[in-house]
Amino acid sequence: MAPDPNIGSGSGTAPEEAPVKAAPSKDPKKKDEKKDDDLSEEDLALKQQLELYVERVQDSDPGLQKVALDSMRQEIRTSTSSMTSVPKPLKFLRPHYGTLKAYYEIMEGSDLKKSLADILSVLAMTMSAEGEQESLKYRLLGSEGDIGSWGHEYVRNLAGEISQEYTKRQSEETPIDDLMELVQQIVAFHMKHNAEYEAVDLLMEVEDLDLLVEHVDSTNYKRTCLYLTSAARYLPGPDDMLVLDIAYMIYLKFEEYPSALQIALYLDNVQYVKQVFTSCGDLLRKKQFCYILARHGTTFELDEEMAADDDDRETLQEIINNTKLSEGYLTLARDIEVMEPKSPEDTYKAHLLDGRASAGASVDSARQNLAATFVNAFVNAGFGQDKLMTVPSEASSGGSSGNWLFKNKEHGKASAAASLGMILLWDVDSGLAQIDKYFHSNDNHVIAGALLGVGIVNCGVKNDCDPAMALLADYINKEDSCMRIGAIMGLGLAYAGSHNEQIRSILTPILGDNQAPLDVIAFTAISLGLVYVGSCNEEVAQAIIFTLMDRSESELGEPLTRLLPLGLGLLYLGKQESVEATAEVSKTFNEKIRKYCDMTLLSCAYAGTGNVLKVQHLLGQCAQHLEKGETHQGPAVIGIAMVAMAEELGLEMAIRSLEHLLQYGEQNIRRAVPLALGLLCISNPKVNVMDTLSRLSHDTDTEVAMGAVISLGLIGAGTNNARIAGMLRNLSSYYYKEASLLFCVRIAQGLVHLGKGLLTLAPYHSEHFLLSPMALAGIVTLLHACLDMKAIILGKYHYVLYFLVLAMQPRMLLTVDENLKPLAVPVRVGQAVDVVGQAGRPKTITGFQTHSTPVLLAAGDRAELATEKYIPLSPILEGFVILKENPEYREEN
Amino acid sequence: MPTVSVKWQKETFSAVEIDASQPPYVFKCQLYDLTGVPPERQKIMIKGGLLKDDADWSTLGVKEGQKLMMMGTADEIVKAPEKGPVFMEDLPEEEQVVAVGHSAGLFNLGNTCYMNSTVQCLHLVPELKSALIKYPHAGRSSDLDQSSHLLTVATRDLFNELDKSVKPVAPMQFWMVLRKKFPQFGQLHNGSFMQQDAEECWTQLLYNLSQSLRSPSCSENPDPVKALFGIELVSRVHCEESGEESSETESVYALKCHISQEVNHLHEGLKHGLKSELEKASPSLGRSAIYLKDSCINGLPRYLTIQFVRFFWKRESNQKAKILRKVDYPVELDVYDLCSNGLRKKLEAPRRILRDEEGKKLGLKTNEKSSGSVDKDVKMIEAEGSSNASGESSKTTSQEDKEMHLTGIYDLVAVLTHKGRSADSGHYVAWVKQESGKWIQYDDDNPIPQREEDIPKLSGGGDWHMAYICMYKARLLPM
Repeated sequence: MAPDPNIGSGSGTAPEEAPVKAAPSKDPKKKDEKKDDDLSEEDLALKQQLELYVERVQDSDPGLQKVALDSMRQEIRTSTSSMTSVPKPLKFLRPHYGTLKAYYEIMEGSDLKKSLADILSVLAMTMSAEGEQESLKYRLLGSEGDIGSWGHEYVRNLAGEISQEYTKRQSEETPIDDLMELVQQIVAFHMKHNAEYEAVDLLMEVEDLDLLVEHVDSTNYKRTCLYLTSAARYLPGPDDMLVLDIAYMIYLKFEEYPSALQIALYLDNVQYVKQVFTSCGDLLRKKQFCYILARHGTTFELDEEMAADDDDRETLQEIINNTKLSEGYLTLARDIEVMEPKSPEDTYKAHLLDGRASAGASVDSARQNLAATFVNAFVNAGFGQDKLMTVPSEASSGGSSGNWLFKNKEHGKASAAASLGMILLWDVDSGLAQIDKYFHSNDNHVIAGALLGVGIVNCGVKNDCDPAMALLADYINKEDSCMRIGAIMGLGLAYAGSHNEQIRSILTPILGDNQAPLDVIAFTAISLGLVYVGSCNEEVAQAIIFTLMDRSESELGEPLTRLLPLGLGLLYLGKQESVEATAEVSKTFNEKIRKYCDMTLLSCAYAGTGNVLKVQHLLGQCAQHLEKGETHQGPAVIGIAMVAMAEELGLEMAIRSLEHLLQYGEQNIRRAVPLALGLLCISNPKVNVMDTLSRLSHDTDTEVAMGAVISLGLIGAGTNNARIAGMLRNLSSYYYKEASLLFCVRIAQGLVHLGKGLLTLAPYHSEHFLLSPMALAGIVTLLHACLDMKAIILGKYHYVLYFLVLAMQPRMLLTVDENLKPLAVPVRVGQAVDVVGQAGRPKTITGFQTHSTPVLLAAGDRAELATEKYIPLSPILEGFVILKENPEYREEN
Repeated sequence: MPTVSVKWQKETFSAVEIDASQPPYVFKCQLYDLTGVPPERQKIMIKGGLLKDDADWSTLGVKEGQKLMMMGTADEIVKAPEKGPVFMEDLPEEEQVVAVGHSAGLFNLGNTCYMNSTVQCLHLVPELKSALIKYPHAGRSSDLDQSSHLLTVATRDLFNELDKSVKPVAPMQFWMVLRKKFPQFGQLHNGSFMQQDAEECWTQLLYNLSQSLRSPSCSENPDPVKALFGIELVSRVHCEESGEESSETESVYALKCHISQEVNHLHEGLKHGLKSELEKASPSLGRSAIYLKDSCINGLPRYLTIQFVRFFWKRESNQKAKILRKVDYPVELDVYDLCSNGLRKKLEAPRRILRDEEGKKLGLKTNEKSSGSVDKDVKMIEAEGSSNASGESSKTTSQEDKEMHLTGIYDLVAVLTHKGRSADSGHYVAWVKQESGKWIQYDDDNPIPQREEDIPKLSGGGDWHMAYICMYKARLLPM
């Protein structure tokens, strides 16, 4: 990010000092003599002049001294030179540094002494030995004049010494007031001279960032905050929060509310969010805030303070509730002309395969039909129409949509019925109407699917009437466990992240019920984890912990048990230290689940933090060779991806580490590696990862191959990436005889064409700044389920694939006018460029194309308006953005 | 009497009055009038709960102007179809074969690919299968030796197993019996069985079957193998020098396609193979003289086997060397001009009808079920294939009144290929057309689907698999 390497190391010894500070030469005289011969006349004159000054300074006459000092000062200040070489006066004065220093000691206190101290301070910049901070010492003894008058390099050098001195004094606990005064000056100087990041660095070193708020002004606050927010990712412990706090305050000060809101969301600080609302008086801007909140997926209730007028509040709340998401998505789809429903065969594109005609199957294969169900659901997600489930009933009398439903077997029917929810995603009104017919079925699987479907339709969308709660609550205690799971999982999906009390009160009793079957328990734990994601809720945690303690040892060995620790982990998603108490408790669990729980909790708590220490810890776990067949290394590998996915550098490093695990790790680790890669590059098909996964998809171990195939789907999710699509097509013919692998290939094909390429699964949004906890929770749940592919996804719990719905979001930029109606404007879309810490006003995108909104944004893309006619109300052009007419805009000609 | 607005699907009914004194069922009836959804199908949601029919309005606390949501449709309830679909996974293992669309592969027992591919090719002939089924278990006719009997039984069992199994079959029993009957296949080299010539295996196996399946008791079909595969040749033997001429008839199981410099196409090779020179004692000259033998086909089989004479004994290397020359063979073979005059006359009538039918097909393209992916030739063949299939199905129903006639036109159904440089080395593979019309390459235990376009590419001229034995199936015409 920043060109300044200071930040990374966090130490005060700025490397840029090195070239300036020449190493004390062992034989200076000899060298100087040699050099003398090369000097030009002009230089020689200067040299002699300076030597004269040095002599004069030591003169007893104060008048002469003063003149000499002034002249010396004059020479130093006026000398201009390139950045890379030492200015001539300094160079010629170097041999005399010792003399002057010695003389200073015997000099009597006066203004003259101070002047000499000033000069010594400047000379010390090149002369003093490392770690002595002489420059600073003489500065403090000097006349305290304008710091900038000695030049930029001097200030930088001082800043470096201050940070060293600061740490020294901190350890000695001596006062630092004099230093802070200097810091004030330096910060002011830097802020004035476009060196915001140096000021920030210095303040971070002296732990007094608050100073920054006084010094920023409207010209530099943006760059300052950008630097602060980017630096936060690389800071340890509480420092990052502090830095973001400062950035938040600066944004608030300059009324850059959307950015302040982003930070408030990053900090997950409801108080700050409220403050943004109360600080801003403009309704239109508030609407934009609501769009940002809606994209993040937070459940947020506005009160009178935030929006005084009832009608306004209702409009705003509607935006937060995402009620218009479906409409916007369909606007995008119509604009891109992809409304035509696609059948699974259109996705498989089997006709492009050469060599192998697909073996003709005259009989329906339940597994292949199930795959088609999922593919159909993923591809047509949110479009409201498809070719299997929503075929108009008049086409063939007698409810033909039932036909496909009954081409699925047992649990397959549940997934098929639920797929209708996926097709009608976010469209609660027509979704519920179409799902209704399944409620009256006499087949329990169909009802279970309908319940799950209701949950899916409501995922990410809130409705005043709470239809999901009303419909599902009655079913969670039914006899049939399939129906119960449908209702429970539906609730989890519909209310993810809502911290809904009512759900806790109806679901926690199930966990305590000893009679409840294990699968019901497992899904209950996950649903509670989703609803209370990142809340650190004590009661829920207790309930899951008791269940884990109560269950018999044989039950703890079941594949689905892995969802219990995960449910617990989700409660602490991204909450770092808050997990510690629970982690302690987990050490008392049965041996079978203890380590698994430990890894899951750790990886969840530090998910999205980029914490290097935790990555190391998890890698350490993977380095152990196990003999007892423990399963905890799988979650540890996924954990590496969860922690490291926060920023680009860590992500690249994690990819490399995973490559090593692949080579040296044992089978249970190798099985998790493709899944971790899938998470790291979700909806972002990096070529190197694609190649690795393609190689793994032919692995001799079927579980590795299956994981790799699913992950190919994940990294290509919603991108329509032709290369991945081609790979998967070839895999489909390669594995045509192996039903399980073929199923995975089909699922992956469905994912690649997710929402016909309009959706993304990436949990990060807003220029990779904010992490939606619900989205991450959904993906992680699926990945954990994938750790035992055979028992869960290939078994009867394939509907865990629907957890992905939590992460589905349109990857669009839709501009709307002040009445929230779509507005087509030209925008430039290109690869985002990192501009942190760069001078001037660098271009933020490169290789752009100009489109008219609505447009699709790929991973790493950024958009900017290509017209001056409108002003966007959010600095980040993603999702819904309100445009305001620019009052200063003049139509040309 | 609060009034509420009710949202149903995309519609909103504003100002619906609630009579708080009446049970909610009355309210539901009100909505029934508006929406047409019967009350028992209505689900009304009030802030996270469902409105129960016996609820009390006062406890629900419905406010003036509150929005309610109603779910429910008057649509027909989805019912499971009376006859649910049958899934492949549910079928017993033997029935899954049908679903897969081809039979199982055969494990290689150590250089037995020549045998595997031969068995796979012959296995495709349903008539042979039915003849084998009729073969008595124990009672062998006296003129048959024990090992022949055992081989026939083993063949029958192997065919049965292939039909039933999904997983590859290990032909252990068959292999043992084959070696017993024909010890040459048991040759060892360096302690392992040697690769053998598939043609030899094919010929020997067919010969054995024809011996054992011959049933003199059954008058209508005394020699089923001969009826299926036997080709009757009538030859004119003629001596240039003496002008002697004689004629002889013989029955063979395969036509030979001789490969020489001039032969580029199967047809040329066949013609070549029907002419031969032989040296024999001439009674008129009193010494041996060169006789020219000129043969033509006098009787056609159901299944026409053609062997490419690709191998010749190469003295210097002491092995059967292979001729790599590319010899094209058609998917549809017409042997009319190889037939004797008598046979040609017999064939003429059915051929005319067939031509007429084809013409009709081309005229009425709408009837064709074109798959769209194959070129026109293949399309025609497919269409014919389907007409053929329909013809056969009608045959089963009306076999009594309609007799099947040969037309002299044959369709390719199996190719046995060889890859490698000599008959006793390399690899044999069978390419067999299934009843579904799909081609399967049986590479030992691994059946691989193939496209029809790729089959003629096995014609040689490189190191790829090349056709060694082709089997054609007669196109029959009911008349």
